[in-house]
Amino acid sequence: MLYREAGDFKTTYRSDQQTFPIKSERFLFWAVIALVALAVPFFINDYLEKAVLIPFLVYAMAALGLNILIGYCGQVSLGTGGFMAVGAYATYKLMTGFEWMPMPVIIILAGFITASVGIVFGLPSLRIKGFYLAVATLASQFFLVWLFNKVPWFYNHSATGQITAPPREFLGFTLTGANAEPYATYLFCLGFVFVFAWVARNLTRGRIGRQWMAIRDMDIAAEIIGVNPLMSKLSAFAVSSFYIGIAGALYFSVWTGAAEVTEAFGIDKSFDVLFMIIIGGLGSILGSLIGAAFIVLLPVLMTNIFARWLGMSTEIAEHMQITIVGVLIIFFLIKEPHGIAALWRTIKEKLRLWPFPH
Amino acid sequence: MFLTDPFFWEVVISGLLAGVMYSLVALGFVLIFKASGIFNFAQGVLALFAALTLVGFMDGQVPFAHVINEALGTNYHHWYETPGGGDGAPIWFVALSIAATTAVMILLAWLVVKVVLKPLVNQEGIILFMATIGLAFVLEGVGDLMWGANIKVLDIGLPSGPSDWIIDQTGMFVNKLEISAAVVAVILVVSLTLFSQYTKMGRALRAVADDHQAALSVGISLETIWWIVWSVAGIVALVAGIMWGASSGVQFSLSLIALKALPVLMLGGFTSIPGAIIGGLIIGVGEKLFEFYIGPMIGGATENWFAYVLALGFLLFRPQGLFGERIIERI
Amino acid sequence: MTLVDTLPAGQREVLLEVDNISLSFGGVKAISNISFDIRVGEIRAIIGPNGAGKTSMLNVINGFYHPQEGTITFEGVPRKRMRPHHAATHGIARTFQNIALFRGMSTLDNIMTGRGTLMKRNLLWQALWTGPAEAEEIEHREAVEKIIDFLEIQHIRKTPVGRLPYGLQKRVELGRALAAEPRLLLLDEPMAGMNREEKEDMSRFIIDVNTQFGTTIALIEHDMGVVMDLSDRVVVLDYGKKIGDGPPEEVRNNQDVIDAYLGVPHE
Repeated sequence: MLYREAGDFKTTYRSDQQTFPIKSERFLFWAVIALVALAVPFFINDYLEKAVLIPFLVYAMAALGLNILIGYCGQVSLGTGGFMAVGAYATYKLMTGFEWMPMPVIIILAGFITASVGIVFGLPSLRIKGFYLAVATLASQFFLVWLFNKVPWFYNHSATGQITAPPREFLGFTLTGANAEPYATYLFCLGFVFVFAWVARNLTRGRIGRQWMAIRDMDIAAEIIGVNPLMSKLSAFAVSSFYIGIAGALYFSVWTGAAEVTEAFGIDKSFDVLFMIIIGGLGSILGSLIGAAFIVLLPVLMTNIFARWLGMSTEIAEHMQITIVGVLIIFFLIKEPHGIAALWRTIKEKLRLWPFPH
Repeated sequence: MFLTDPFFWEVVISGLLAGVMYSLVALGFVLIFKASGIFNFAQGVLALFAALTLVGFMDGQVPFAHVINEALGTNYHHWYETPGGGDGAPIWFVALSIAATTAVMILLAWLVVKVVLKPLVNQEGIILFMATIGLAFVLEGVGDLMWGANIKVLDIGLPSGPSDWIIDQTGMFVNKLEISAAVVAVILVVSLTLFSQYTKMGRALRAVADDHQAALSVGISLETIWWIVWSVAGIVALVAGIMWGASSGVQFSLSLIALKALPVLMLGGFTSIPGAIIGGLIIGVGEKLFEFYIGPMIGGATENWFAYVLALGFLLFRPQGLFGERIIERI
Repeated sequence: MTLVDTLPAGQREVLLEVDNISLSFGGVKAISNISFDIRVGEIRAIIGPNGAGKTSMLNVINGFYHPQEGTITFEGVPRKRMRPHHAATHGIARTFQNIALFRGMSTLDNIMTGRGTLMKRNLLWQALWTGPAEAEEIEHREAVEKIIDFLEIQHIRKTPVGRLPYGLQKRVELGRALAAEPRLLLLDEPMAGMNREEKEDMSRFIIDVNTQFGTTIALIEHDMGVVMDLSDRVVVLDYGKKIGDGPPEEVRNNQDVIDAYLGVPHE
């Protein structure tokens, strides 16, 4: 039986604060992990990899990062695309500059580089609040894209201005380049998302996470009860950019293999990730994943419905899609401003009490 | 000395004229933010939608024609031919089209208030902001589906081309279209100010802006007020759309003028009409001068970000913006 | 019981000294030339009509406002331009006139946030969780559970504070302030808007905090009955000026105070 709490008593604070306090939920979680890690690699193909799974994992990473900043710390940022670009270009420079460096190290380093850029662009948050800050983050978006476009050092003076990922192996599996195996790239990205979703969970349940939320809910009171706004906001910017940098690194190296900055990391990327966390749920780890899945799958689904089944031209299908995404955003905000994750929580509450709803 | 350099003044004037356009879009933002506390991200798309609709009326296009044709295999295109043919439409027809588009914008405002804003009343600002992003998507998608996504020419018979008189007098090239845009913007600002200062409705608007609760308690309907501000913002968007569309065609990029108006808002403050105007001019001149003098040294195309960096730098020293009052935080 | 506790409040060691403080916003003077002290272990009431500058005074004490003139000395150390979070880490905790809880969080998390100043594990340990960060979390959870027991709010431990009734929210806010184990607790109208029963509960908690934990308390309150019963000494403000200072019975008979409350017109 799902969600039975009876008999599942907590006798220590440790067991009271675990991630999945209910036994059946823990079971469900590990079953899903086993499925995605052990079963999916056996039937993954190119289409599934490049159109569904890798995009989902990359965006899940970015959504986790943005959700830490907006959902937990309450600092609205529209600079996601720019920070993804930092991750991507850092990866490119590291891959071409240090050929011996193992891929996971490169990705993590790219994350740290983006984190430091994030701290710099997070500095205005100490003076500027709310919508003013949201607009201010656009400065980072436009400036970073311009920078990567105009300074040839970043793209190694390539004639096209593009960056292309050279083929790299890790533990004998090809991860980047034309010969990369779908199962290998999938597991590589999955590993990152799994580990960093867990890290995000850890950060948000402890002291730092509470301080972020305190800043979000009432910044003045937070400061008065001892939250250092400088440390809290900048750590949120740093952690958030770290995640988004990794997302950009994976986007460029594993997913697309090549990127041109204005096309790949424009402001629409910032909005895509923002929608993910709104639809999935602000301030929810699970919500970031659900939102990423939703925004990645929606176009795939719609292209199939409108273009393949109904035989519409791609142009009309595309416009239909934009309209529907817009309608869905408004619909979700009206029906459940806290996203699908909140819907899921409500269902869980009901299941726990079922069949006696009072 | 650069003050005597005609290029300097040409750059300044083109900056001022571009700045007027930014102000126009920023004005739409300010109106809505003042009256409802909503940061309306859809303002740029509103301008695109208005311009598309105007072109649709002027060309007599059938709405959704390409969708219907594709679904039913029919071949609809136009209701009617544009009167006047290739020599430009007669003034009565332009006026009629603009009036019809205005009506569409007012209807749209009503729909937005009923369908989007009313169910979200009392939600936090961030939720409403995101709802307007959703709205921007819907308007963009519907606009394209209704009128097609191809680039359209909008010609309502405004003068264009360099002004010979100014060339004769000063040797500078100044586009007549930009001058007329500036004139229209000034007229619009003056009439908006008169409207908000001297009409009953204007006073009600300001009352709502000051205090929602108090306004409600003296019997001002929030919904009606919202409808009016969104209508006015729609009309401002139409004007911005006409001006921008006349100079560079009606296409998706028109909606991006919203992004140019955002730094203006940062600089001028979200609630200040004079701030929007002065801020727009500062940003317009600033980015043109920077691009002209510094741009070539660092690779050009600095207009995308310079305005933001300028506004950001300014805000770091004066967080309340150009005309905002100093905020005393209370607890 | 230590020697300090047995002395009358006026003779104990000074914990906080407010010396000649003036504060103005633009041209408006909120506080002018106010001096008083708060002594270890006492309950010090700050009273006065609306707009007298009481809350501004608390805001000055914990560094939220910076006075144009005067100094605040806490535990013998003068504090100039101190930031509010420094005040908190140095042992000054605070509740608010209009509830300022973190609405998106549960009771437990709100109180745990108040504990943040005592927690040390850095970001990397927190990212790993297992090990030191978890141990620290449990250690502080135990302390917080004691506060929850003390305030009798066990049943709402995991309820989001936004859903709680007003009286309980006030209690959670007190818990959040206590969690920091402050040496000076500032309470801004802890009983405003409460019914009699809730006031009695709150008074009991305040007295218990003072006697059991030995916490020094400065409180703003409008209910004169409560002030007279609870406080050791009272300072009275009116129009940003100090008009009375002393034990409750003395202040009650002070003619200036009576005038201020009865509304004798100012010359």
